[in-house]
Amino acid sequence: MPANKILIVDDEQAIVRLLSMSLKSDGYETFSAFSGEEALDVFEKADPDIVVTDIKMPGMDGLELLKKIKELDPEKEVIIVTGHGDIDSTIMALQYGASDFINKPVRDEALAIALDRAKTKISIREQLASYTHDLEDRVADATRQIRRRSNFQRLLIHSSHDAIVAFDQDWQIVVYNPEAARIFGQRGRDVLNKMTIDELYPPQLAQYFRKEAENKADDREMPWQEMVLETRSKKQIPVRYATNVLHEKNEFMGIVNFFQDLTEIKRLEKELIQSERLAAVGQTVSGLAHYVKNILIGLKGGSYVVDVGLQHNNMEKLTTGWQTIKKNIKRVADLTQDMLSYSKERKPEPEPCLPNEIVDEVVDLVKDFAASHNIVLSKTCDPQLGEMVLDPRTVHRALLNLVNNAIEACLELEEENRKFVVEISTKKGKDGSAVFAVKDNGIGMDEATRARLFTPMFSSKGGKGTGLGLLVTKKLVEEHKGTIDIDTSLGYGSMFTMRLSEKPENGRNVNDKG
Amino acid sequence: MSKKVLVVDDDPDVRSFVVTVLEENQYTPLVAVDGVEGLEMIEKEKPDLVILDVLMPRGSGIRLYRHLKTDDTLKTIPVIMFTGIALRSFLKSQKALEEFKGEKVPEPDIYLEKPVEPQELVDAIRKKI
Repeated sequence: MPANKILIVDDEQAIVRLLSMSLKSDGYETFSAFSGEEALDVFEKADPDIVVTDIKMPGMDGLELLKKIKELDPEKEVIIVTGHGDIDSTIMALQYGASDFINKPVRDEALAIALDRAKTKISIREQLASYTHDLEDRVADATRQIRRRSNFQRLLIHSSHDAIVAFDQDWQIVVYNPEAARIFGQRGRDVLNKMTIDELYPPQLAQYFRKEAENKADDREMPWQEMVLETRSKKQIPVRYATNVLHEKNEFMGIVNFFQDLTEIKRLEKELIQSERLAAVGQTVSGLAHYVKNILIGLKGGSYVVDVGLQHNNMEKLTTGWQTIKKNIKRVADLTQDMLSYSKERKPEPEPCLPNEIVDEVVDLVKDFAASHNIVLSKTCDPQLGEMVLDPRTVHRALLNLVNNAIEACLELEEENRKFVVEISTKKGKDGSAVFAVKDNGIGMDEATRARLFTPMFSSKGGKGTGLGLLVTKKLVEEHKGTIDIDTSLGYGSMFTMRLSEKPENGRNVNDKG
Repeated sequence: MSKKVLVVDDDPDVRSFVVTVLEENQYTPLVAVDGVEGLEMIEKEKPDLVILDVLMPRGSGIRLYRHLKTDDTLKTIPVIMFTGIALRSFLKSQKALEEFKGEKVPEPDIYLEKPVEPQELVDAIRKKI
């Protein structure tokens, strides 16, 4: 709005009229007053932008008017018309906030210049006001945006499915989201800005990150890793975690950790393995049916022979029949045991035991059967292999399975002149593990058989195998975190090597018997 | 003079069962534990009937059966197949062998699927001898 309204005040009416005419011709709207009192009246009614007033007037003089106007509205420009050389009044007027002075007699050019200056001042003030106003708006706007952005980030961290924990340069926790609270089991308000890394993390992990921060000059990301997190409340949680060490201008700023809780994934993995195993047992049903039928044949035949023995009081028949029945009862028992071992989870129960003694037990169990089929059993035990902490039941069952297989592999081969030998040996492995090897010179396997060896329901023994034996062996060995290797050649024999290590990390778990 | 019946089976339980059935019915039992031994016995003892298992080590029952049925001096000996293998699977294997070898052998006189009641086995033997 251009400053356009001017109030002219002078007790000399002629001067007022003269100036008014001159200014009107310049395009201004003018108002007149002939005394200070009248001027105030007009000022309040007309609201002029600029007041031009004579300083010397009867009654309220120009200075008094200036003071009053400035009290009413300090933004109004007041131009004072003074007598030549009236220094005292001029100084007073300046103090009261006059914007300009013109000497009497008022010349048009001097007035025009003063008015222009006043107008410029007004317009600058107006611009300034609008700028100031804008600036406030802009600051408010930017503040809103910053707040939104920080809210967004806060929400992002808050709602993340990863647990996010960040530490500042003094290892104080400065970010700690709800998922972190869930995993670590500590409330945010007890942790944020209150705890340090050593109070939240297990000592080893805290130590690890401190070291990482020292070692890392750059902001290179560390790859995702897995571990079992032990929280302060002694909960064990499998997690995946990533770490960023943060620097600003080469100065360590802090560290941020992301944790993903793997409990559910691990549980699903376990469930999957379990269901696969159950499915395998299901698939084996047709193979099993065949095997069970063979047992039934044995039992029926045996009981018939016993009946005949009873009828004729024939001890020989009774003995033969009874042997058959007992043998087949054992087959049922073994089968049941195999099925249970295979379908159920069992944690090994390690205890101090002598691997070589277990070999002796197994050899004792099978030696009669082997001898009756002219198979030589040889045993080579490494005396270095002393007492070890292993699950003796795992060793026994796995080894027995392998030895039985070796004997059966010899029986399968239709070769009259071969002298069949099953060699069982033990060795102390370089890594301290117990190594058991079972070698036969029986039928061996071709590549296809070898490849299908550990698939459920697979038996190369016709109706004589359950298809479970090696599966069970493999499962037992894997549960013991051991390995099993096969070296075989069709027509020449096979060698199974089983390696089992002591496992100090998995203590005996009495409550979880398989 | 009682008739001689040879049992060829690798399973000792089956052998003792069949032997007992034979004894109880006044036959003279002979035993062999595999195909090779079975053929030796047949040639030496000339049994009146052979009870033959199919799946055995050292010369399966199938091999022995085909040998018997293609040997002019032995082909008249009646054979009872006595096995855990279903007849359908057995016949399928025979058909495949016939196509492969180009020779046709008659189907077994009697095919019994284990397990059998003692009387079933006796009835089958009596049908033949």
